[in-house]
Amino acid sequence: MRVAGVLVGCLTALLGLLYFVVAGAALGAFLLWPRTRVRAHALLAAGARRLTALERGRRSLFFHDVFPEHRADDRQILRYLAARTYSGLLCAVVVGLVDFGAVLAGIFAVSLTTRSTMTWVDVVSQVVLGGTLLFLAVQGLRALTEQDARLARECFGPSERELLQRRIDELATSRAAVVHAVDVERRRVERDLHDGVQQRLVALAMLLGRARRGRTPERADALLEQAHKEAQEVLTELREVAWRVYPTALDGLGLREALGGVSERCAVPVRMEYDVPEPLPSAVETAAYFVVSEAVNNAAKHAAADEVSVCVRQRGSTLTVLVRDTGVGGADPAGSGLTGLGSRVAALDGTLRVDSPLGGPTTITAELPCA
Amino acid sequence: MRVILAEDSTLLREGLVRLLAEEGHEVLAAVGDADALLREVEAHAPDVVVTDIRMPPDHTDEGLRAAVRIRELRPEIGVVVLSQYVERNYAAQLLTSSAERVGYLLKDRVAQVEEFLDALERVHAGGAAIDPEVVRQLLIRTTHVDPLTRLTPRERTVLEALAEGHTNAAIGEKLHISLSAVEKNLNAIFDKLGLHRTTGYSRRVLAVLRYLES
Repeated sequence: MRVAGVLVGCLTALLGLLYFVVAGAALGAFLLWPRTRVRAHALLAAGARRLTALERGRRSLFFHDVFPEHRADDRQILRYLAARTYSGLLCAVVVGLVDFGAVLAGIFAVSLTTRSTMTWVDVVSQVVLGGTLLFLAVQGLRALTEQDARLARECFGPSERELLQRRIDELATSRAAVVHAVDVERRRVERDLHDGVQQRLVALAMLLGRARRGRTPERADALLEQAHKEAQEVLTELREVAWRVYPTALDGLGLREALGGVSERCAVPVRMEYDVPEPLPSAVETAAYFVVSEAVNNAAKHAAADEVSVCVRQRGSTLTVLVRDTGVGGADPAGSGLTGLGSRVAALDGTLRVDSPLGGPTTITAELPCA
Repeated sequence: MRVILAEDSTLLREGLVRLLAEEGHEVLAAVGDADALLREVEAHAPDVVVTDIRMPPDHTDEGLRAAVRIRELRPEIGVVVLSQYVERNYAAQLLTSSAERVGYLLKDRVAQVEEFLDALERVHAGGAAIDPEVVRQLLIRTTHVDPLTRLTPRERTVLEALAEGHTNAAIGEKLHISLSAVEKNLNAIFDKLGLHRTTGYSRRVLAVLRYLES
């Protein structure tokens, strides 16, 4: 197959040469004249594009190359076709030399078997010379086929530069998303503090104020008792808020304990399966924790689920976090909570999938590389 | 007085209802969002409305918008808004039409029961009640303004008390100076700020606040 590909490549290179000669001769003058240059150049490139498509077909057919959807510009096409034509012709020359050498070797072999006038010295020198030339030709062919593959990669596939550019775009997007997610979380914390803790504290202070104004000692006592209870509620609330901001158990006790905390806090029963043989990087632990905690909270709050199962499993260098609930489904992946999670996971080059058909069940899967 | 409350935190709402009831005020309705507030005001015609600024659905400035609306439709109703933190433009929006029967208090002020009740009384009596913290911050932010820097420390404290909506007599009591000393200070302030002398003290508050916002 590959040999056929190389031979066909020699033929297509001849086509390329023919095209450059004919088109060059026809368009040469127009290419030099400034007023027609653009048009002529476009024509030249359009023809070259057809031949290039042929080359691309050859690479796919004989060498099973897979090229992504990608459109090269005119300059790239012309540069490719020129380089490819040159290396293809060179390849044809080398193939020609190999054939010539084979014929010579045949003649040499025949003359060996029939009685000839060759001396031993002649035979040895011929073999050494032929072997050396054969070695050079084979090396040349290898180098040329390599180059053919590389040229095709550069023109048809994303080049090194484009791959870098893509990666940079990806990183820029995920960075912006992370910043946004952080802002959303901060807003949530602010609201937790203002609408939860602050209101309770104001109510507590009011109780104390009323107790001080209390007309009778009994009344004042009753209000003080209420205030005392309220103060304990404020403390509980504050602990909850702090925990939602960052679970300190993660640092002290690790992911497993922190997840245990999530299931204890959840009103719905949570089945936890935890299989992580090796220690995880802390960024991965934190992301995994928030995926589970957000998903479990959503299941309890919005999905009216009666059971949630969580599975955290490490296989090789991938940590898979899977949260499934038996709720009503219809979770919106574009909602702020899930978007934030997606950004958090994407920042670690992981993926987050949300599968939540109406009627349930909802499955949230995060895959995090932990190399 | 007859009061309507709008506050989305159940806990605080209940606390306020109790407090006002204990003080002998009549709470006509206590609601949790701005739409319900407007409906209740329409139905009951209270003397004073107390409303939180941040309320459902968006938790932005629903309460303030409702307050501004009530002031447009029923200027005879006193309106006190409770704000999470000092927001100049909220204060400005509330005070642009007039500085009568209006209060802008920080939510935490509710915890100082006496001060809160006092502010409510002032608004009910036709005056203004601007949170001391709001006034302080407005003054801090405007220290780079020339005319204010020409005030003496004593004049500044008088101006603060004035902006909070206190009467001359109350200012005298607050600062332990005689009534005539208060008036003398006020005249000096108005001269330095280039404000025309006016009679109603609430209009003075408005003038001062407007000046501070410039």
